[in-house]
Amino acid sequence: MLSRSAERLYWLARYLERTESIARLVSVHMNLLMDLPKDVEMGWLQLVKINGAEQVFHEKYTVANEANVTRFLLADASYSSSLFSSLIAARENIRTSRDLLPDEAWEQVNEMYLYAKNNLDAIASRRNRVLFLNEILKGCQRFTGLLSGYMSHNNPYLFISLGRYLERADMTTRILDLASLLLSESRSHELRQYETILWMNILKSLNALLMYRQYVRSRVNGGDVLNFLLLNKNLPRAVACCIRELSGCIHKLPNHDGLPGKLLALSDTVQAIDTRQTTQLELREILDDLQNKFGDLHTQIAENWFLQVSAEQAD
Amino acid sequence: MKSIWENYKTEVAYDELMHSEFQPRPVSHRLCQYLNSLNKDDIDKRKVAAELAIMEMGISFTVYSDEGNIDRAWPFDIIPRIIAAKEWRMIEQGLKQRLTALNHFISDVYSEQAFIKDGKMPGDIINSSKNFRKECVGIKPRHNVWANICGTDLVRDKDGIMYVLEDNLRVPSGVSYMLENRVITKRVFPELMQDIDVLPIDDYPTQLYDMLVSIAPLKNGRPRIVVLTPGIYNSAYFEHAYLAQQMGVQLVEGSDLVVEKDDCVYMRTIEGLEKIDVIYRRIDDDFLDPEVFRKDSTLGVRGLMRAWKAGNVALANAPGAGVADDKVVYAYVPEMIRYYLNEEPILPNVPTYLCSDKDQLEYVLEHLAELVAKPANESGGYGMIVGPHATPKEIADFRDIIKKDPRNYIAQPTLAISTAPTLCEDRLEPRHIDLRPFILQGEDTFVTAGGLTRVALKKGSLVVNSSQGGGSKDTWIINGEDG
Repeated sequence: MLSRSAERLYWLARYLERTESIARLVSVHMNLLMDLPKDVEMGWLQLVKINGAEQVFHEKYTVANEANVTRFLLADASYSSSLFSSLIAARENIRTSRDLLPDEAWEQVNEMYLYAKNNLDAIASRRNRVLFLNEILKGCQRFTGLLSGYMSHNNPYLFISLGRYLERADMTTRILDLASLLLSESRSHELRQYETILWMNILKSLNALLMYRQYVRSRVNGGDVLNFLLLNKNLPRAVACCIRELSGCIHKLPNHDGLPGKLLALSDTVQAIDTRQTTQLELREILDDLQNKFGDLHTQIAENWFLQVSAEQAD
Repeated sequence: MKSIWENYKTEVAYDELMHSEFQPRPVSHRLCQYLNSLNKDDIDKRKVAAELAIMEMGISFTVYSDEGNIDRAWPFDIIPRIIAAKEWRMIEQGLKQRLTALNHFISDVYSEQAFIKDGKMPGDIINSSKNFRKECVGIKPRHNVWANICGTDLVRDKDGIMYVLEDNLRVPSGVSYMLENRVITKRVFPELMQDIDVLPIDDYPTQLYDMLVSIAPLKNGRPRIVVLTPGIYNSAYFEHAYLAQQMGVQLVEGSDLVVEKDDCVYMRTIEGLEKIDVIYRRIDDDFLDPEVFRKDSTLGVRGLMRAWKAGNVALANAPGAGVADDKVVYAYVPEMIRYYLNEEPILPNVPTYLCSDKDQLEYVLEHLAELVAKPANESGGYGMIVGPHATPKEIADFRDIIKKDPRNYIAQPTLAISTAPTLCEDRLEPRHIDLRPFILQGEDTFVTAGGLTRVALKKGSLVVNSSQGGGSKDTWIINGEDG
């Protein structure tokens, strides 16, 4: 398998995972706000914050209201991590990797792109936005499903998995960042009243509510939710599970060098976390640390397998 | 209700489907019957369905412009073009004969040059050809085949005879559109496809793969094959990716490949370097290897010619094969068939005046207003003039262009190339078409059942190139009583 192709498939998967995450995040947030009284401090800006995009956002918009934030996160092609930008990037990557994937994979991504492009204006209306997000989520699921059903689980497939799980692990820590805000000591009495609803929404944003109920078998509370989403090795969007998947892929790939060891260490780090004992500040540090480690992991993967373009070719 | 056939004019040229406004030819009898059973709404729906399929399948080609490159959806006309199997079998034989003779000729040009020594062609034509590569002299590709993939353009004149317009032996494109057109037709007219016995075309990628295997340098083991593309910004990138995907081989760019000290070609993979046996290259000779050809090429692979000459890698088409893709050389193909194969040509050439010949040049300059004149080495319909459609000033200017470089110009009578019914707004109108079948030659020779029918969508236009307002149609070769 070409190094160039490995890199493109990896990014294809990252961008599609990002597309799906943003769709999920916005959709859960809309639901949450419908449940909360208007004066609670869970505004739209939180969504911008967890994507680390406050500065970019404020360069373009003054008010962080629903219209602006959703346009920014979903439709803004000039913001590189918006849903539409991610979809464009995913399409470019798959367009240049068609030789490795089943026909349907390209058609699926292309259809999603065309759908998004034709419906960007419609998302201003809340009702249309719900339809839009549903369609995107379904599209991403179809893509995952058809690869899993149509494609040999070969090296190209492994690079797609690497991209997907690394992006997913990263996104889960970002969503937990949002949750950590909920633990703030200074949170209002008002917000404390709605805590259960907030935690339930965190679980929903990761499709984990049912699994949480079956596994934890206690009422929804912050410490348990955090532990479940970080440490559980079977929940697809839990950090520990993503690491386990990454480790599985890396073991099967040739020339994995020191990577298995790194992942083992990462897994140990995660398992040592106990959120029931942490303060909000400590939690944020833990999550920051994890995000940095995922960044390092990416660098390692790139160094190991991707095409290192030398100066003579860069032209 | 108005008929979609209203005012259908068949007197402009030979019409492929219709004798007259009211009478279909035998081959199109069933199709016409079917079309007449649809109302305008039905036809519209099918047209929209085809457009949607093209968008979703992402069938596109790239157009270069000052504002950057635009990826345009492939313009497709849903009404198929039909040829009877009986006629097709003759054309198929003619195409095989032609490519066989052309490959004899290319081998000859790079070895003894007997064709020239025996006085069949002036040696100057080869010496002055910009596609003659002296680096290729003495090389013997497997099966002595240089042009493995050929796209031959056919047109039918008013007399109903199919003529060969040109042979594309460098990097002919269009085959992916031929294949995708059929996929779309199957989606749009499933009822029709079921009832009529249309010869299938979807074995092309398999045939291409088998041909590439047959030219691999090593007999043992499974050869590793790649498609070499100039990259995403090439107008035919869609096709490169499509063919690689259909054959299940790697699509590579120049920077993915490297020639090592052992003169073998390797690709850079996640497991390190992997040896390559066959390259289906979609890059022109000029850009193939900066060591030998253009020094500034960043698309090719340094040392590729060394590896090829050492017999360590097969290139399809072989470098230098383009020497026969020259409209001056074209004029000699009927003679090649007689000379190398001792046969009479099955498919006729369009009569061609060579401006390199003094008498013929004189005739061309005098009669330019009636002729089509074109450069010997261009493709894509660029740099040509259609006399009857040109202004006196354009004709005068073109005379000067020819006089400056007579070797590189030829002229042909303006053909009344055939038409086929094409959906325009709310009814069918005749539009001029051509046909590009694809011929593969390695150990065996294979011809696609039909080919890519290109159509000049603009009324009266004779230019079918997609870069200049052309579209395409599905092409049906039909068997049975109708055929």
